Amino acid sequence: MGLTHNPGLDWTFWKRRGKREMLLLFPALPLSLAYFIFQELKDKGEFSLPPGVKLPLEWRGGQQAAAPLPFSPLEPSQVRRQISGRILFLEEVQKALMESRAVGAPLEDVLHWLYLQGEIDFRPGVGYDSQGRPICYRCGQNSSIVLGECGACGFVCPSCESCLSLGPSRGCRPLYIFPALEGLTPREEELCLPQLNFALTPAQEDAYGEAKEFVSQGKEGECLLWAACGAGKTEVAYGAIAEALKQGKKVLYACPRREVVKEMEGRMASAWPGLKVVALYGGSPQKFREGDLILATAHQALRFYQKFHLVVLDEADAFPLSADPMLHYALRRARKPGGQILWLTATPSEEMRHMVRRNSLKVIYLPARPHGHPLPVPEFIIPFWGGRLGEGSIPSAVLRCLKEAELAGAQVMIFVPSVAQVSCMERWFLAQIPSGFWGNPWVRGCHAGHPDREEVIGAFRERRFFALITTTLLERGVTIPHVYILVLFAHEEKIFDTNTLVQIAGRAGRHRDYPQGKVWFYGYKVTPSMAEAQGQIREFNRLARQRGYLK
Amino acid sequence: MKGIFSWLFPSPPSCPFCGRSRGNFFCCDCCWEELSSWRRDLHPCSLCGRLLPLGEGKLCPFCEKAPPPFIARAAGPYRGLLKELIWEFKYRGRRSLAFPLSQLLGQVLFRDLKGYRPDLLVPVPLSSQRLKVRSFNQAELLASSLALSLGLPVEPLLLRVKDTPPLVDLSPRTRKQLVQGAFRVEGKRRLEGRKILLIDDVFTTGATVGACAEALLLSGAAEVIVLTLATGIINSPPSFL
Ligand SMILES: [Zn+2]
Ligand SMILES: [Zn+2]
Ligand SMILES: [Zn+2]
Ligand SMILES: [Zn+2]
Repeated sequence: MGLTHNPGLDWTFWKRRGKREMLLLFPALPLSLAYFIFQELKDKGEFSLPPGVKLPLEWRGGQQAAAPLPFSPLEPSQVRRQISGRILFLEEVQKALMESRAVGAPLEDVLHWLYLQGEIDFRPGVGYDSQGRPICYRCGQNSSIVLGECGACGFVCPSCESCLSLGPSRGCRPLYIFPALEGLTPREEELCLPQLNFALTPAQEDAYGEAKEFVSQGKEGECLLWAACGAGKTEVAYGAIAEALKQGKKVLYACPRREVVKEMEGRMASAWPGLKVVALYGGSPQKFREGDLILATAHQALRFYQKFHLVVLDEADAFPLSADPMLHYALRRARKPGGQILWLTATPSEEMRHMVRRNSLKVIYLPARPHGHPLPVPEFIIPFWGGRLGEGSIPSAVLRCLKEAELAGAQVMIFVPSVAQVSCMERWFLAQIPSGFWGNPWVRGCHAGHPDREEVIGAFRERRFFALITTTLLERGVTIPHVYILVLFAHEEKIFDTNTLVQIAGRAGRHRDYPQGKVWFYGYKVTPSMAEAQGQIREFNRLARQRGYLK
Repeated sequence: MKGIFSWLFPSPPSCPFCGRSRGNFFCCDCCWEELSSWRRDLHPCSLCGRLLPLGEGKLCPFCEKAPPPFIARAAGPYRGLLKELIWEFKYRGRRSLAFPLSQLLGQVLFRDLKGYRPDLLVPVPLSSQRLKVRSFNQAELLASSLALSLGLPVEPLLLRVKDTPPLVDLSPRTRKQLVQGAFRVEGKRRLEGRKILLIDDVFTTGATVGACAEALLLSGAAEVIVLTLATGIINSPPSFL
């Protein structure tokens, strides 16, 4: 039993294997429906249509002479050899092939032949699950599927908007699955040891060893590398990667953003000069190349299928990707059955923290920064009366923070919960203190959608003014060597959750020359998030001290 | 249990354009501000709707020379957020933008056409080849979403008789020649006396909608008003006029 876009081809295939009759279900259906019926028949031996779909269907039997194949007999195996461990739409298969050779034959027929031979599989981009609810087979999501009249297939056709940035996934577009072909061929150890032009700190060395063990022992499927902000977790992941490479394993290193992938490509290529490092991202010159070590954005991971023995996700100070169900799905599907995932993050999701507490997720801690100073612990400032922000005069507690920073020669980053608050606070500060600190004006506001964003951030970097007011959404790339952090309205838990507060606090005290930053959370009460963020940072400092990582 | 809570404390609705939270209006204040900011320094030509700097005459140089057989209006110039949204909708295929974008058209009807009420909405058709590739006709989706919220009928009356190549990068003259007679009204429908609102996504030279309007008027339509998401800006009179 199977699905086909071209019954003649199936005839030819089965004729050659001595079959005499074939039963076809009429009329021709869009792939999403056909696949649903196919699954139902396979699982239950009978089928009903998804709710709301009415169609008069009938089986027609018959015979037909075998026709000559519309492609050369070598074509299918040549195509098969090119693509391994991928899940791709027809156009993507075409592109993948074109990166290495020309495509002549009608590709859809060639792929169908491979399907008949049982070498590859296919399904609709968007289909229906066993309850008849639409689901996207590319990204695994069902939250933003739109049903609509489709001009390509002529039916009401589901399309997915979650993964739209990778091209449309629809009910009538076949998605081909190419199982992985590679086996394990161990590589020379020499080739796999990363070449670093600096020494690892004791904290990194310990974590490096643990990461290596995670792969060499292979007991756990997933592992969390929980690092303090700015502790150098990438180098630690090298331990796991080097071990996997040595065993001849396929490794995927996934990052949230394209810029990070590009930057990592250079770093990894110099760490492993003898191996082929390939970077895949939106706009990369090639998207389907093979390599020993593959770097990709987490989105590109949606195009892999059970290919990698080890998947490393580097959150690189972005907001926790581990909370995005689509990317979770992508990374888990890119991994071979029995493969491993290493999550690198400073801010694991709530769910992961819970698993760590219950000991159901292996964790490696990297609690200290390379400079060996403890992380700045946030101080809470809770005004008992007065102390309102945005009206009247500036609360004396806030003023004290600013003065302290000025005295230490530091700049201040002031975080507020919303874009509207940025300009609001900027006006208020300037109205209250027209020229109290250095710079003219001494305080400026900026957020991700700000028209003069580059200019403001550039000026702040060059120390041309004292304080920057911003939202949490400002890109992570903004690192200032000598900076104190003040979070206003820190009680707004919807914005300032634990992870966000840990990330914000993690911007202080990073630089080797200014390892002692200050962090203040100013709010009308202490929220559980504030307490947990402070607790996490304290716990890391305690662990670092206990293990002797601190100076 | 979760269901009850989400019913008691519904999460604030999010803006269809940027995902931030919004009030009762269909998009957030930021997006609305950005989408209507052009009104501070531009105004539409009273015939073709292309945008002229404030203070310049009522008619653009094109319409002064040869008035078109229709009146057109648009939600704004083809740039910035609006351009991005149209791109995401039309080329990337984010169909769920059809409704919020149609609300922009509704606002134009309300603001610039003083609540004009047509008898019928008609979308500009797409060639069958391009429909196959794109999987939907963006003008048709816009028209049916707008019709739904206005409580008016929508009919895909127009047929593309000849396929035209994509008109991007062609001169106005060539465009006009290419689309001449490219459309006709389905069957022998007569549209005696009916007021028709023609919907498209972008107004460039007006060649396409012009050919559509001619076909509709030939079938007896009383008037044709064109509504598009975006239109062009006319900065200074072109020298060839
Ligand atoms: Zn999807
Ligand atoms: Zn379809
Ligand atoms: Zn918005
Ligand atoms: Zn005009």
